[in-house]
Amino acid sequence: MTEEKLFTVVGIRQPPPAPPQKVKRHKGFPWISAILMAAIVVCCLFAEVLMTKNPGYLDLQNFSVAPNSEFLFGTDTLGRDIFSGIWYGGRISIAIGFLATIISTFIAVVYGSVSGIAPQWLDTLMMRFTEIFLSVPGLLLVLFLQAILGAANVLTLSVVIGITSWASIAKVIRTEVRQIRNSEYVVASRCMGGNFFHILRKHLAPNFIASIMFMVVMNVRSAIGSESTLSFMGMGLPLEIISWGSMLSLSEKALLTGSWWIILIPGIFLVTLLMCLTNIGNYLRKSANHKESNL
Amino acid sequence: MRKNPFLYYGRKILVFLLSVFLLSVAVFYISRLAPGDPLMSYYGERVEKMSVQEKAEARDKLGLNDPIYIQYIRWLEKAAKGDFGISFKYKQDVMEVISQRIGFTLILGGIGFILTFVGALLLGILCAWNEDKWPDRILCSVGTLLSCIPEFWLSLVLILLFAVNLHWLPSSGAYDIGHRNDVLNILRHLILPLIIVVLQHLWYYGYMIRNKLLEETRADYVLLGKSKGLGKKDIMFKHCLRNIIPSYISIMAISVPHVMGGTYIVETVFSYPGIGALSYESARYHDYNLLMVLCMMTGILVIFCNLIGQIINEKIDPRIKANDVVETSEVTRT
Repeated sequence: MTEEKLFTVVGIRQPPPAPPQKVKRHKGFPWISAILMAAIVVCCLFAEVLMTKNPGYLDLQNFSVAPNSEFLFGTDTLGRDIFSGIWYGGRISIAIGFLATIISTFIAVVYGSVSGIAPQWLDTLMMRFTEIFLSVPGLLLVLFLQAILGAANVLTLSVVIGITSWASIAKVIRTEVRQIRNSEYVVASRCMGGNFFHILRKHLAPNFIASIMFMVVMNVRSAIGSESTLSFMGMGLPLEIISWGSMLSLSEKALLTGSWWIILIPGIFLVTLLMCLTNIGNYLRKSANHKESNL
Repeated sequence: MRKNPFLYYGRKILVFLLSVFLLSVAVFYISRLAPGDPLMSYYGERVEKMSVQEKAEARDKLGLNDPIYIQYIRWLEKAAKGDFGISFKYKQDVMEVISQRIGFTLILGGIGFILTFVGALLLGILCAWNEDKWPDRILCSVGTLLSCIPEFWLSLVLILLFAVNLHWLPSSGAYDIGHRNDVLNILRHLILPLIIVVLQHLWYYGYMIRNKLLEETRADYVLLGKSKGLGKKDIMFKHCLRNIIPSYISIMAISVPHVMGGTYIVETVFSYPGIGALSYESARYHDYNLLMVLCMMTGILVIFCNLIGQIINEKIDPRIKANDVVETSEVTRT
């Protein structure tokens, strides 16, 4: 075709193009949570700068010292400086949270999409399995798995937490995939020979990513919580690997001597981080669906 | 479509038995494939002094040398007669070990369960009634905060506050020595663990009720009710609440294992002599026979409650198909 127009549109005048609509988000982005979380994460990443002591050093002359100017948050029952431990150990706690979530999300995406695309009988079977999996209390499963596996390190702990927390995300993905699997663009892609992973990446994932975002954030939260619970019970990270959980595992002894700082300080950091994650997750969920009441 | 009740329940029972069987096979295999030496839990420190031959004999005696499937068949044969073997660690019949402790878990879990669900219903209604007003906002923030606190840490803080500093309540155990039958004493020991069990789940279900109610208030029939002149109270309690109660009851049924699971951690923190602390120990020390029975008990509870939940759903609310039960509990749990 050349420059000249072959056809011109006549008749009803086209309305002027509407201004591009802003994506309407539910108001109230949790700024405080986001900033607090960013602060904690950054501090943990640059732990070396902040640390005043070697967090692993057992200062046997100064054990269970209450917070003072030398030991800002006091020392634990083994004489380790808590202030340094918080930043150094936070890194491991957060790393486990993210690692476990990556593992569980990956499993969930593959499992959910396979189940969504699969024929009816396979889908039923797979979903049945998810339901059974979901009805077993998650932490209990982690506890048993880890107890049976024995000694834990960062990697095994993340894997154990990861492979026990994919089910709820997988269910959501499966529902979403089932809705779109017969749309024209998926069928077209299939006809052109797109394989499973291509379709998953190009067509399915962009559709379900919004609806699982909040669950992914919540998964980070529960992974960090699980790590601390496991370590506290002595099934997770050993004392030498400093994390918020393993710092708290000294609290049984601390209770006897009434050293509140050993229990409260790592716990407050833990709860603050979990709280921030929850707020952000809740915001993501609310912005995904909000409707006015009829009442 | 009317179903033959025999066929209906027969199928359910068959599914139940099949699941229990598969579960037992899975638990049996996994627990034995795991690294770790069960002899350690039976003989304790003495293992290290035993010669190779003695160890082999001991294994033979405990039947640990045969292939796993033979061990499984042997276990199954005995279990059918009601003999679940002895606990390696306690050197007692497994059932005996469990029966000494299960009562405390049932008390803790049972009372916790009732308080949780009654409380959650009330809180949920209160929040939904005052949507986005101050009671709702306060409850939501407090609830979110509570649900973020890992239960072991909350237990520690409460022990620190009430037991260590204020000396109001005991910090561990289920009764003081010599007060085994003293109800008041047992109750005093129950307070802190119970608070934790309830608080841990209260907001999870309360929030669920709130959201379900809010979802209902956005339905069209509410507009109809309003235009016909019904008050807020009538709409809320006679229509919205009635619509969510069936799914709430089925959620209650499938939540039994979760509330029970919550007691497991609490029991460990408070050294409460229930089966939760016991199963944790048995997994840790490779006490196969004990672990097997405890896992089976938990598993059967899970499967059974799921089935009950499904049946309730199908009977009370025919709108819901069997598979939707778990759909409702999709919110991530800690």
